[in-house]
Amino acid sequence: MKRSASEVFGNPSSTHRWGRAAAAALDEARADIASVLGAKPSEVSFVRGGTESDNLAIMGTSRGDGSPHSIFVSEIEHSAVLEAADHVADTEGATVTRLHVSHDGAIDLGPLDAITDGSTSLISVMWVNNETGLTLPIPDVVEAGRTRGSLVHSDASQAMGKVPVHVGSVGVDLLTATGHKIYGPAGMGILFAREGTALRSLHHGGGQERSLRPGTEDVAGSVGLAVAIRLAVDEQEAESVRLAGLRDLLEGRLLSTLVDIRINCAGATRAPHVSSVGIGGVEDGSGLLMALDLEGIAVSGGSACHSGAGKGSHVIAALYGEADPFATVRFSFGRGTDEDAVEHAVAVTKTVVERMRAS
Amino acid sequence: MSRVLVAMSGGVDSSVAAALLVEEGHEVVGVTMKTFCYSETPSNGKTCCGLDGITDAKRVAAKLDIPHYVFDVEEDFTRDVIDDFVAEYARGRTPNPCVRCNSNTKFRDLLARGTALGCDRIATGHYVRVEHDEDSSRLLRGHDSSKDQSYFLWGLPKEMLPRLLFPLGELTKPEVRAQARSLELVTADKPESQEICFVPTGNYRDLLERKLEPVHPALVPGPIVRSDGTVIGEHRGYAGFTVGQRRGLGGGFPEPMFVLEVRPDAREVVVGTHEELFRDLVSVSELNWLGETPPAGARVRVQLRYRAPAGEAVIADAGSELTLHFDEPQAAVTPGQSAVVFDQEHVLGGGRIMRAELLEPV
Repeated sequence: MKRSASEVFGNPSSTHRWGRAAAAALDEARADIASVLGAKPSEVSFVRGGTESDNLAIMGTSRGDGSPHSIFVSEIEHSAVLEAADHVADTEGATVTRLHVSHDGAIDLGPLDAITDGSTSLISVMWVNNETGLTLPIPDVVEAGRTRGSLVHSDASQAMGKVPVHVGSVGVDLLTATGHKIYGPAGMGILFAREGTALRSLHHGGGQERSLRPGTEDVAGSVGLAVAIRLAVDEQEAESVRLAGLRDLLEGRLLSTLVDIRINCAGATRAPHVSSVGIGGVEDGSGLLMALDLEGIAVSGGSACHSGAGKGSHVIAALYGEADPFATVRFSFGRGTDEDAVEHAVAVTKTVVERMRAS
Repeated sequence: MSRVLVAMSGGVDSSVAAALLVEEGHEVVGVTMKTFCYSETPSNGKTCCGLDGITDAKRVAAKLDIPHYVFDVEEDFTRDVIDDFVAEYARGRTPNPCVRCNSNTKFRDLLARGTALGCDRIATGHYVRVEHDEDSSRLLRGHDSSKDQSYFLWGLPKEMLPRLLFPLGELTKPEVRAQARSLELVTADKPESQEICFVPTGNYRDLLERKLEPVHPALVPGPIVRSDGTVIGEHRGYAGFTVGQRRGLGGGFPEPMFVLEVRPDAREVVVGTHEELFRDLVSVSELNWLGETPPAGARVRVQLRYRAPAGEAVIADAGSELTLHFDEPQAAVTPGQSAVVFDQEHVLGGGRIMRAELLEPV
């Protein structure tokens, strides 16, 4: 990536040699990602991050001509999906249905029966939930979509490198992946769109990325993203076993140290890199995060994109109800996490939680 | 040294307060309170309370290398401060939202959240002093009499006093600015914020119209009358008036006219000459005492407006309502504003002015 940034400085759309070198690097990156995912290179478009990829999938698949269109999203999607769907509803009159997900990982696909002949529809269900690690049954969703003639999108931002993600074997029509969750460049993402999927661009300008994402390409970012995806997928099997061990250690130690806590989605299939812990007897969830940060433990509550404002998580509300009395802390595990770090986090959490319960 | 929570508004004062605490060796935690939804108000670069205020506070915290968090107190602030502000105008009084915020929202919240964060002390950039003895703490006027903010702090919960720090209490504003410049804080040359933070344009009528019914008596026309009941004009709603105000009364009088009283029941605004503005018996309620309640008969100094000099008075009664008898009649005593009771420099407590009368007409 560094070499791409310093040596491959041409504009890939240019005819001259520097442009050709840049185009070649971009083609390599695209082909590499396609091969990892089991896709064709022409099915992979580089975009600016996961949010843009989600937006393009949701907003780009409505025809925008007022014809009947329905969108089905799980309740626990990232706001990049939820708000894009609501936007299509507001501006184009599409119907949006939120599919209920229970904390054991089951998704209610019943509402899909409302899909009528002659309409277009899109189902968007994330591969792995960002706040809880909950792994959703994507093959079932794909099957349900296929029998009803609906497109299926999955946001796999949190799944890459944590669980196997392969569009060759799991037939989603659209897939989102992003760089910053796998040690890649932030602000880089891809949208996989299966050949033949009708997609409108959200941007207007040049013909880059087959006109799906006009704008001069970020060659270094694309190369970096490809390397990050390749590494994450290569290491996935071994790393996920290691991370699951650390997660289980943390959860076991917390359960034995603190009363009145709950491991969210404990009984469900989960990706191993996050642990969402509900903590009772603490009214101020955002204060808990600040207190942990102050003692050197960097954790999140709801999705970190919103937690600055201290609002509750829509994911936990969907899984456990609006009146859930637990404050949520999300512990994340990565390459730099080891057993000592877990033990330290447990000790600090105990101190902070007991102090907050007493105050 | 202890862990100190410092409230940072993004203005120069609280920036320097944080910097001084860092210099003294405390473990300082900066917080900014998000009090209302900024997206609903027009942007205004002049005050410290916009979203840019939060950003400036974050930049100062980064410069000082201290953690910084945002406390979202919007719900409490709306209920305790903004709703009260609107209700007071509807009652024909002139509210003081900064007092209300300090008494009910800001300091209580800082204490609760600070305790949860393991902070022993709470600090702000107010120009006041606090003296801690073994068994008591006293709130005192700021050393810089032109900046003294004790008028706004009489409503603090008494039990909080021992945990408060006011690093600017001994400093003057120019000294604070100089300190900010020498530390190269981005807030060093920020202008003073004068307006109410949730009314950055200074036009509170828009807020009242949004919060009250458009046909609320406070916002519809009513008579302007003299003390003897003579109708001399019409106003656009009594909520636009405060005692002592000159503007908005129309002209054509032989001498300047001032608002003497707002009578919400009759929707009347009573006006008169400057000589008619004076009152010497003032009733105060919603009392808060920072130490012992002073006894009836005690001689005290009482400040009736921010930046006004304190007047000499005797406490005529100090039950659930405080009655103050001033030596000299005071101009423009305004219901809704604070009456703050001092023993010399020492803030004894205060309350909200309810009524005022003149015992011996001049």
